[in-house]
Amino acid sequence: MAADAAGLVVETSHLTKIYQDRQIALNDLTLGIEPGAVLGLLGPNGAGKTTFLRLVLGLHSPTAGWCQVFGRRMHPNAADVRRRIGYIPTNPQFPRGMSPIEYLDYMGRLFGMTRETRKPKLAKLIRAVDLLPQSGQPISNFTPGMTARLAVAASLINDPDLLIWDEPTHGLDVEARRGMLELIKTLAAEKTMILSSHNLSDVDEVCNHAAVLNKGHLIFHGTLQDLKGKIRKNHYELDLEGDQKSIAKSVQQVKGMKEVISAGLRHRRLELKLTDDVSNTGVLAMVFQTLFDNKVTLVTVRSIGMQTETAYLDLVGKEEQRGFARLYQPQAEAA
Amino acid sequence: MDATTTAAPPAPRFNPLLPYFAVFRTDLRLTVQSWVFRLWVLVSVVAAVGYGLYKFGIHREVGLVQSASEHTGVLLRSVGLVTLAFVSLLALSGVSGERGSVADSVLSRGISRHQYFLAKWHARTLVLLGAFAVLAAVVLTAYHFLLEPDVTLGGGVAATLVALAVLAAVIAWGVTVGALANGTVIGITLFWLALFGAIFLLSFLPDPFPSPVRAVTQMRSVLRGNYDPTEVAKLAGLFLTVALAGAAVGLVGYSRKDV
Repeated sequence: MAADAAGLVVETSHLTKIYQDRQIALNDLTLGIEPGAVLGLLGPNGAGKTTFLRLVLGLHSPTAGWCQVFGRRMHPNAADVRRRIGYIPTNPQFPRGMSPIEYLDYMGRLFGMTRETRKPKLAKLIRAVDLLPQSGQPISNFTPGMTARLAVAASLINDPDLLIWDEPTHGLDVEARRGMLELIKTLAAEKTMILSSHNLSDVDEVCNHAAVLNKGHLIFHGTLQDLKGKIRKNHYELDLEGDQKSIAKSVQQVKGMKEVISAGLRHRRLELKLTDDVSNTGVLAMVFQTLFDNKVTLVTVRSIGMQTETAYLDLVGKEEQRGFARLYQPQAEAA
Repeated sequence: MDATTTAAPPAPRFNPLLPYFAVFRTDLRLTVQSWVFRLWVLVSVVAAVGYGLYKFGIHREVGLVQSASEHTGVLLRSVGLVTLAFVSLLALSGVSGERGSVADSVLSRGISRHQYFLAKWHARTLVLLGAFAVLAAVVLTAYHFLLEPDVTLGGGVAATLVALAVLAAVIAWGVTVGALANGTVIGITLFWLALFGAIFLLSFLPDPFPSPVRAVTQMRSVLRGNYDPTEVAKLAGLFLTVALAGAAVGLVGYSRKDV
């Protein structure tokens, strides 16, 4: 990992962006991104995700506060810092009339890469993103999947230490999306990444940290586990097999346990809600023992819902309800 | 020291001027390929050829002497406003035409705003002034041979230099307005209002003050070689200073602007 020794890759302090005194896009955002983190940037439309990314890249100047990348303050002329960043905007557009080879060569020259380093790198990337047959064709004829692959190649041409990808799976079909997620997992082993996404299952799959923005305000920043920890954990579904009477009897016994809040049976599927006061493993052990005693077989057991999505919606919902309270505890949730 | 210590990987080699030349070269190509540029060249060539052939016919067939210097001046007056309109549109679209994620994909790389602005300004200046210089040279040469040859070399060079200096000022301010305006349409509207408004207002000024109409009228005598080189140098210097001032405003303003 080529991050600065013991330093944060990205650090912001009270970062605020107000457009023309009319729109508060980002409000007092303070966070740090450690080397090796894969940060999922979440939030509804207009939450300030793209504004945050543009401030990190130095495409926008902050109205107040500051943003440092690799220990250096970001501003529109910080070209040397941007040499260490690979960026993919949402719906990447390309200069007209260029082929992938010309475009990547242009990108390499924009990073100041000499011919000796640029040419072999672009050839390797075109092969890696599977655009070899189309390498001489105009980009304007490309499908969204091919365009996304080319944008990936462009973001990697300078061998960056930090990757900033704004909705990288946006508009991709299932196969292309899967390929993109696998690529992110591979790159995450050696790079620090910031991924802005609306797709929470993508974030759940590839990220280890999350930052949640709502109306320009950072309402959560921490590990994905911490985010999931903010929701009720003890909610399970158990698919059962066995005699109907035995199943009904065991459900009655489970309902009788004081640690069980509710136990509902529907078509041999038991929905179980446990209290938060005790260890879930102990209660589940008792439930399994009850099932065993009644000769009921357990087919599957799973935690209810998509936890990241639930946690995210919980957070946004709570933030909406806080009203004036958020004025007095601005960093309470984000800590 | 351990002899088996692995050598550190070579540091990546960066040429700090490459980003500037990358944008410069790409913009040269894009400008020449743009339909506005091609239309401007086409309109100028058609006007020059049509007018020249018409006067050539009168000169040869009817036998009325047609002065090359006079008709070059008339041609310049006729296509001058059209040229200014096209040149300012091309200059203004240099930066403002590359907005959104196209600009993102360039400015998010290893290029500073200063380099980007300078590359755009230099590329547009080179293409537009180069094209104008070639057109002017061709027209002056052709009219010299087709009509009454009263244009001197010195006069032709002096007139072309002043026109190039005026265009350089228009291009510099056009690129600057394009870089600082929030949209191409609003930018070109404001720029044309300022440019043609200034020409219109200046044409009302009395004799000692500069008037574009009088300047174009005087072009005839300049082409004949009746000019003061110091005055020509002063005029060219004035417009070049205006161009540099425009570029400086754009350079500072664009380096602080959100894209």
